[in-house]
Amino acid sequence: MAFDVRLRINDKVATIELSGELDASTAGEFHDTVSQAAGAGAVELVIRAEQLGYLSSAGLRSLVVARQKMGDEVRIAVVGASEPVARTIRLAGFDHSIDLVDA
Amino acid sequence: MTFDFEAAGATKAAGVAQAPGCGRANALRVPATIDSLEPVSDFVLGLGKQARLPESSLYRLRLAADELATNIVLHGYRGEPGEITVDGGIDPGDVWVRFQDDAPAFDPRQGMRAPALDVPLAEREIGGLGVFLAFTAVDTFEYELVAGRNVSTLVMRRPTVQ
Repeated sequence: MAFDVRLRINDKVATIELSGELDASTAGEFHDTVSQAAGAGAVELVIRAEQLGYLSSAGLRSLVVARQKMGDEVRIAVVGASEPVARTIRLAGFDHSIDLVDA
Repeated sequence: MTFDFEAAGATKAAGVAQAPGCGRANALRVPATIDSLEPVSDFVLGLGKQARLPESSLYRLRLAADELATNIVLHGYRGEPGEITVDGGIDPGDVWVRFQDDAPAFDPRQGMRAPALDVPLAEREIGGLGVFLAFTAVDTFEYELVAGRNVSTLVMRRPTVQ
């Protein structure tokens, strides 16, 4: 499935909607979008992952970058991730600083 | 650390040589580039579906293969031109996928690092995470240097009852 990433910023809440497959070949786009969200001074980053079919470590790297650029006070949430995607996030130990939320 | 690829590889090779119908085998040769990740994933997903792997096993086999291929492209060949050969097969008890490349000798498992859960995410060194995910995703992850080639084999068990 083709990868797509959309960014919306409302009232300092940045929402990134992901669909398709996030691997090393598509992570660059996600990475750029995360940087854009961080640069916009958002106080919360919500990543909608309901349509995300696949996530590899390349996508996880962008989450680290989000955490680095946005600082500790910014809440980062991944919403509606499928079980295997959520499992990967947990296995990497990212759920300690990123909220995994059911849709 | 033990390597039993020789024995397993010999068995697999024998399986490959046998007549179709008693274990499907296939091969894919792709340039060592990021653009090749998609055909590699398609190949592995096709094989796993043929083997009737359950969804979660299929996802994990694909994840392991994708991380391994990414590792060969980025850390094996390091941007130099090269090729990756992927083959695989279905045995009664498992599905196997084998990667071969001519990058400098490198056991991907050496670069593996479990996540440092006690370190804040922003300060986390995440090199080695992909191989860690690959290693934990499959039932067996073997590496051997064979005549100067890097050979890594992933094995995923199939459910016993069809």
